Amino acid sequence: MTSIFENLPVDAASLPQVASLTFHPIEKKYLRVSLIGSTIFWLALLLSGAIFAAFSDIENQTLVYLISAAGVLLLAVGHLFFIRAAFKRKKYALRGRDIIYTKGLWWRVRTSIPFNRIQHAELKQGPFERLYGLHSLKVFTAGGAACDLVIPGLKEAIALNIKDFILGKTTLDGSGAED
Amino acid sequence: MEAEQKIDFSTPRRQSRIAIGVILVKFLRMTLKILWPLLLSFLIGGRHNSAFENTMGYVAIAFGAINLIGSVLTYFRFYFHLEENAMVIDKGLLRRTHTNVPFERIQTINFRQNLLHQIFNVVSVEVDTAGAAKSEISIDALTKNEANALRDQIMTGKKHLTTQELSTVENAEPVAIEEEKEALILHLSPKDLLKVGLSQNHLHSMGIIFVFVFSTMDRLTNNWEEQMTNQINQYQGYVPKSGLLIFAIITVLVLVISFLFSLINTVLKHYELSFFIKSGGFKLVRGLFNREEIAINKSKIQTISWSETLLRHLIGLWTLEIEQAGSREMKQLKSKIKVPGCYTEQVNQVIKTTFPAAYYREEPRFQVSILLKYRLFVFIGVIPFLLAGLALWTALGWEVLYLLFWLPIVGGIVHLYHSKRSFELNEELLRNNSGMFGRKHELTQIYKVQAVKIKQSWYQRRKSLATVQLFTAAGRSVIPFISLKLALELENYLLYRAESDKREWM
Repeated sequence: MTSIFENLPVDAASLPQVASLTFHPIEKKYLRVSLIGSTIFWLALLLSGAIFAAFSDIENQTLVYLISAAGVLLLAVGHLFFIRAAFKRKKYALRGRDIIYTKGLWWRVRTSIPFNRIQHAELKQGPFERLYGLHSLKVFTAGGAACDLVIPGLKEAIALNIKDFILGKTTLDGSGAED
Repeated sequence: MEAEQKIDFSTPRRQSRIAIGVILVKFLRMTLKILWPLLLSFLIGGRHNSAFENTMGYVAIAFGAINLIGSVLTYFRFYFHLEENAMVIDKGLLRRTHTNVPFERIQTINFRQNLLHQIFNVVSVEVDTAGAAKSEISIDALTKNEANALRDQIMTGKKHLTTQELSTVENAEPVAIEEEKEALILHLSPKDLLKVGLSQNHLHSMGIIFVFVFSTMDRLTNNWEEQMTNQINQYQGYVPKSGLLIFAIITVLVLVISFLFSLINTVLKHYELSFFIKSGGFKLVRGLFNREEIAINKSKIQTISWSETLLRHLIGLWTLEIEQAGSREMKQLKSKIKVPGCYTEQVNQVIKTTFPAAYYREEPRFQVSILLKYRLFVFIGVIPFLLAGLALWTALGWEVLYLLFWLPIVGGIVHLYHSKRSFELNEELLRNNSGMFGRKHELTQIYKVQAVKIKQSWYQRRKSLATVQLFTAAGRSVIPFISLKLALELENYLLYRAESDKREWM
């Protein structure tokens, strides 16, 4: 297989392929974390709607509320199904020199960040993640936040391992001492 | 440059006395900025009530006094000095802060002069650090001599630091502290300035004016529409009754005003613009009332782009933009430098001194997919046409077919856009080309890439297409709608180059 880029000194087609990697799925339990979060959001919306309806003086408040609540409920169910379907797309992979994360059901996005361009990495744990013993790994690069990476739903041991691995690599690659 | 008379910065020292005035002006501007709609509405409102006016007078005097005392105290509480490897600033009225910025964190040192600075021949010094905005340092006023000496000492200290690091690895190269060689590559003469001003994007200024006028009106009074109509009604007798004529007059007026606005704006901002090449990078000096001196470090430069509008194309002028590694806050506008009027040879010169010159060459162009054109045509042309047609059907009937004029316009623009959207790649540089009526080129040194994204929508997946986004410390560039195979190769190659290159990237 030869490269489309004929002018390059290296045959780009023979380089390590990101696309043909085997990606690791994130922990199944994280699906529950996202579902809980979104359920709470929709319930809060319904509740505040109910309170608003109770105190407002529209005619037929109950009917109006029930109709709009049914609409919201439909949206909520749709959203929950969407989260479930999109969950399968959240996968990550580590290579010798970079970290890769894919996500998205409709818009598929794959982000790759070389270790030697990482400024900083940290673990984060929200309240529901704590319930399930999960962590999110955040990877920061210089400049804007647009290219920062968050990998959610990692077991504590794995998350720590990856973080240490990245930070070790970052300092190693950054020093320029080898070669 | 004569930095002969060595100024000693090792002990804490104050700024130039002029700083009191500078700080005072800054304070006054700050209060005015917050309060001016209020003041203006009092003035216009014309409430001639003597008691009220008296109070207002006292309030104004109190404000002035507080500002004056504040600025004097600020001045006396501000000290700066250089330690061995760091610059230190102690300041603060009530809460003292002690800021220590190591030389290695300092990116560039910029000078700025407003009118007051220019009268007294002092400069304000802004130390640009790569980190967060919190560690940003600035000194309000130093004499030109002091400022230059300070900059030289910091830069030598910084250079010394890096050579020390190197010398542990290799035999120390003699620390040749090169005297700053500066070569002027561009100077905007009044004629050039006029050309630049005339060929500005006047539509843009029009937008700014509209936003400004409406937002101020809104802040001044809530019922300005009413007042406006009242005012206009007074002159009703004089105003020609024909609506078309009024419309024409207003249009011409708006055009003239926005034209003048962009012209004046250009002259104020870019007056006597000079652009120098130095050993380590570039220097830009510009401005009439606010004179700025901005230094750019060559190694920090991530992308260089040059663009022209149709009007500029006729004169042969490019707008050159140099983007440095920015801080996270993105507020630092300094990280992006814009030279509004450049001829092709100067653009080439800047690029060749920044990036390895041999790699700045024509490469095979990869056009984005023709499907992008059709897609855009559907989204900008056909769908809005159908929606507008449906919405206006009841009002216009078959006359909605006049809206068909929209389609060829969009078709033409989309065609131009697609024909210019392409990219070129070699082992060092990626050149991203775009434009509609004008054109824009953007060069990125690819080993500086710090993230690569491949995006595919549902439509793109069906057609085996993808969009590639690459991020550097200065921002991102996008290559939309190329074949998936090409995108994957690009992704692999960019990552390979970023991961295998050991050079400094920011």
